[in-house]
Amino acid sequence: MLSIKNLHASIEGNKILNGLNLEIKPGEVHAIMGPNGAGKSTLASVLSGKDDYEVEEGEVLFNGKDLLELEVDERAGEGLFLAFQYPVEIPGVSMTNFMRSSLNAIREYRDEEPLSAGAFLKMMKERSKIVELDASLTKRAVNEGFSGGEKKRNEIFQMAMLEPKLAILDETDSGLDIDALRIVSEAVNKLRTPDRSFLVITHYQRLLDHIVPDFVHVLYKGKIVKSGPKELALELEEKGYDWIKESIPA
Amino acid sequence: MASTPTISQDKNTVAFIAPLTHTSPSLGESVRQQAKASLAEMSLPTRKVEEWKYTPLRTVKKRVYQNYASHNAIDITPFLIEGIDVDFLVFVNGQYQAELSSIRLNGDTVYISDLGSLSAAGKVAFEANFGSVANVDSDIFAALNSAHAEQGVMIHIPRGQVAKAPIHILHITDANGDALGMQHRNLVVIGEQAEAKIIETTHTLGSGHTFRNAMTEIIIGDNAGGEYIKIQRESDQAFQVDRTEVKQGRDSRFSIFTFTFSGELMRNNLRMRLMGENIESHLMGLYLLDGNQHVDNATMVDHALPHGMSNELYKGIMDEQSTGVFSGRIHVYEDAQKTNAYQTNRNIVLTETANVSTKPQLEIYADDVKCSHGATTGRLDESSMFYLMARGIKEVDARKMLVHAFAMEVADNISIEPVKEHIAQLIESRY
Repeated sequence: MLSIKNLHASIEGNKILNGLNLEIKPGEVHAIMGPNGAGKSTLASVLSGKDDYEVEEGEVLFNGKDLLELEVDERAGEGLFLAFQYPVEIPGVSMTNFMRSSLNAIREYRDEEPLSAGAFLKMMKERSKIVELDASLTKRAVNEGFSGGEKKRNEIFQMAMLEPKLAILDETDSGLDIDALRIVSEAVNKLRTPDRSFLVITHYQRLLDHIVPDFVHVLYKGKIVKSGPKELALELEEKGYDWIKESIPA
Repeated sequence: MASTPTISQDKNTVAFIAPLTHTSPSLGESVRQQAKASLAEMSLPTRKVEEWKYTPLRTVKKRVYQNYASHNAIDITPFLIEGIDVDFLVFVNGQYQAELSSIRLNGDTVYISDLGSLSAAGKVAFEANFGSVANVDSDIFAALNSAHAEQGVMIHIPRGQVAKAPIHILHITDANGDALGMQHRNLVVIGEQAEAKIIETTHTLGSGHTFRNAMTEIIIGDNAGGEYIKIQRESDQAFQVDRTEVKQGRDSRFSIFTFTFSGELMRNNLRMRLMGENIESHLMGLYLLDGNQHVDNATMVDHALPHGMSNELYKGIMDEQSTGVFSGRIHVYEDAQKTNAYQTNRNIVLTETANVSTKPQLEIYADDVKCSHGATTGRLDESSMFYLMARGIKEVDARKMLVHAFAMEVADNISIEPVKEHIAQLIESRY
């Protein structure tokens, strides 16, 4: 599904990713944890195609395609989804218009017919229930005036609509209270399928009580320094990131 | 009384105004004389004049714009707005076209006429109100218009009446030969507790140079309501000066929209005088230019008495080398306590070479007021673009969505749904 080999990336001359390797197979849930500044969000940005970052070395294959050569919108067309850490407010663009444009653009990319208005609205209604998003929110402008929790739920709602092959959740749990966290996690769990993979980026172990990963990786100074089963997250929680820092030769 | 040109009027000005001064309007004699006297002492503004600093006239003032009536056969259908029934008055090359116009929906209770066909009562109403809102010596264009504009429209909504259908004033300019000059004058009187909605559109056909000098006076009576929507779609050879002055009575509500979709040099002067208590005013503007087009919106709001509210929102999307100016003066007089006055000018520049100069000017002499102004000019928001594209939307479509959303914030305030839809389509077809 996703194969990252020796990825090096920098922003304005500062090296952030430093030879990162990662392999994700269909249906797997991988969690990436790490202290602030380790490069977690940079990884999400590079994969989704944000152009502030310069990839200096390495290769990323997504279902056999060179991901780094694709435009941002093409990556979505290929089935990549990023749940934003900071979802953007877009005044004047309604959620409905946004989602319809998004869904139909992706369908067009895949040579599929656009969805009829009726089928689309039915889908909006059904999928918004998964994240317990109030139907009135879908009538409003994208993220405008949404609370922090609503914004994050809206990201997962979009994921439910777009049915990606690989979803990257970039600190989706940050800033969520336990109720919102539960809603978001349950929605993600409902969307798990044998084909769909997840890359869950988080600073906190708590999320992984709800979304149970197959693998946990520790990112530090731009590379993965430790990988293990889900228990690694608990060990990290207990011992803190200093344990990792100390165990890595400078 | 023959006016004697004084030494203060320069040669350029004499040549520029001469072809437009042959008319001798029969109504409004005292205002006309006063305007002629002012005109004789005025010259076309140079960049040294503060109000014209960013809108140089050096190119247009060298042209000689003559009025001529000859034009090709005109089909007005494409210029009417779909989906609404209106009473409409058509002007071609500045001349009223009775056979193309249709005034039938509003009936006898509302008075609508071109200035050339005023009834006896229409003449009385005209004489009573002409020149009562705008100063003829605001600038040379106001003087020129007040002295010599013969063509125009008079609308009078008597006390307590509501216009059943919107009134559409439709200007079509067909300039294929020499530079064409036109003057136009509107006088709108909405009586106490009366209401009306007016649309005024300007279109240019043909490729010749044109100059339109238009002036509109609007009087809104106590507790009356009105909406005035201007849609400017002129050619790249079109120079237009529009001056609209509005006087509102107590408890009245009025919204005015200025949409500028194209034009070579478009100057819109707008002045709102809030002359009573508890007045609500909305000044809305949207300009979408490209090429070497230029627009200058010069607005003034005077709050004379307490509890008034003025809400001003002007937005621009500037492509290629187009340039814009927005100046907004708000004057809150000493007696105008509890005034709320808001002003916003936001611009998106799509290229490095497009630009907008913004000049807010707040003069507040009352102490218990809420006034704010804000101005921004920048590129399309990159994080929004990325967000849309990350959801699979192509760059070109993402840009379209953002531009449309930005522009529609202005049009969304229009109360006539088909007109809003018309504006949405005009925006849509642009990007």
